[in-house]
Amino acid sequence: MRYLTFALGKGRLAKTTLEMFEKIGITCEEMKDKDSRKLIFVNEELKLKFFLAKGPDVPTYVEYGAADIGIVGKDTILEEGRKMYEVLDLGFGKCKMCVCGPAEAKELLQHHELIRVATKYPNIAKDYFYNKKHQTVEIVKLNGSIELAPIVGLSEVIVDIVETGTTLRENGLTVLEEVCPLSARMVVNQVSMKMENERITKIINDLKEIL
Amino acid sequence: MENRLLHTPEGVRDIYNSECERKQVIENKLFNVLKQYGYQAIETPTFEYFDVFSREIGTTASKELFKFFDREGNTLVMRPDFTPSIARSAAKYYHDEDMPVRFGYMGNTFINHLSLQGRLKETTHLGAELIGDDSVDADAEIVALMIRCLKSAGLKEFQVSIGHMDFFKGLIKAADLEEDTEYELRELISNKNHFGIEELLAEHEISEDIKLCLMKTPELFGSIQMLEEAKKMVKNPQSLSALERLEAVYEALKAYGVEDYITFDLGMVSKYKYYTGVILKAYTYGVGEALITGGRYDTLLNHFGKDSAAIGCVLVVNQLLAALSRQKIQVETEHDKVLLVYETETRIEAVEKATVMRNEGRKVTMLLKKKEWSKEDCLSYARRNHFASIISMDKDGTGKEELV
Repeated sequence: MRYLTFALGKGRLAKTTLEMFEKIGITCEEMKDKDSRKLIFVNEELKLKFFLAKGPDVPTYVEYGAADIGIVGKDTILEEGRKMYEVLDLGFGKCKMCVCGPAEAKELLQHHELIRVATKYPNIAKDYFYNKKHQTVEIVKLNGSIELAPIVGLSEVIVDIVETGTTLRENGLTVLEEVCPLSARMVVNQVSMKMENERITKIINDLKEIL
Repeated sequence: MENRLLHTPEGVRDIYNSECERKQVIENKLFNVLKQYGYQAIETPTFEYFDVFSREIGTTASKELFKFFDREGNTLVMRPDFTPSIARSAAKYYHDEDMPVRFGYMGNTFINHLSLQGRLKETTHLGAELIGDDSVDADAEIVALMIRCLKSAGLKEFQVSIGHMDFFKGLIKAADLEEDTEYELRELISNKNHFGIEELLAEHEISEDIKLCLMKTPELFGSIQMLEEAKKMVKNPQSLSALERLEAVYEALKAYGVEDYITFDLGMVSKYKYYTGVILKAYTYGVGEALITGGRYDTLLNHFGKDSAAIGCVLVVNQLLAALSRQKIQVETEHDKVLLVYETETRIEAVEKATVMRNEGRKVTMLLKKKEWSKEDCLSYARRNHFASIISMDKDGTGKEELV
């Protein structure tokens, strides 16, 4: 039997995923050791391998078949636009991709005005403004603390993930429009789905049962 | 010297020494298979007018084409694949031929992928096109031919997935969806994105049983039995006839004895606009993408003014080589080169010997020995360069062949 390789997005995503996997009998003791500096964790019995990767890299590993299965947020899937199967909504990590800004910026979204949009997700923002709203915008790519941009005048609005909205409120910003809902997804390499169909389908079905 | 001179641009690379040898061995084997099946060799230009690969006809988005201008200002395109070129040639040179024509080709194609994706922009395609034959037998021949190609390259574990465009198209027609929605649905189905499909369908007024079919489509892959299940599910004539066609193709493939490699996938809905009937893909371990893609394109030749059915398939040679090396399958290359070492004094004898050997069909490389090179130096040179044997010409004009 060949190894099935899982790429997990680092952080909370990986933790929740592993808890979920444990419920369907997929365990990886090696990964529970917090001090381990290993990069790859193996379950010899079930012939499974796991590794942690930065979120945006997970689709890359899966597209090229370096990992058969990946667990990653919908935001990353949309932003990366890779060729792979998106087979399951794992139902956790729920949040929304939104256009946010000061309340008065709402006016700027009504008339196809050229505005500046700061975001960590240029592809999602571009697709939303160009293809859904038909508004030409200038996109400013930032790597973090996106909320700063409208406050200091770098942009009129931002496109970012909103979970509770606390950060927004504390900084005088609000949600102006919703782009799409997000949650954790399971993605599968297209070739693996064919070549290891039985094992992967079983995992999908087992997970469906507990969702 | 400027370092820039040594580098190749992103996405293209040199293939040399033993890798190049392996590639050529594989290419020859594959092309031989095409010939065994009666596919005539054809060469088309590396670049053509943009219109040949335009949106209605082509497989590659305009922004991924390498484009440039000729002196008159026409836009030219480096071919991203061969099929439109072959269709154009067939329409031009075989306009009045009503009976089947078979073409086989091999050459490099160029796609301007996004940067930093670790993808080659220049790859070698080998393909076969069977024009003017709309029969089940033609479908089966192309599938069997591709299986034969993969086997001849030494690949053992692989799968050929067959689908049919009309299965999906029939459902779409029955559901009466707009083009935008159809496009979105096609994306979702080809990504096997169940909940996405569910969400999209919830927004539209479609009868429940068609909804169910569309939602089930991504799961419809597997052996021949799956087709039976699908048959019970759908009611529209277009989808049903697609299923019957697939069964007939399977029946025809039995004659070739290749059923073991075949699976069916009704959720395979190619984004290539020109596919009309049976479509296929082949997969193996070690590479994340399909090795082979192809299908029936009965309307493509129409764009070039010939009304003719056609089916074709392309194998990406670079992918196949990557799969072979990752699966640790050896490619037998010839190991019969001879290194003939001589000095100026023995030139006449050496050239004579080399000529005799070359006439016998041997591969002889001549090496004029410098004074400072020892015998051991020559031997190690021969090893580095994969020579099978070495001959040192003696003063008296004779030399014994020794294995390296």
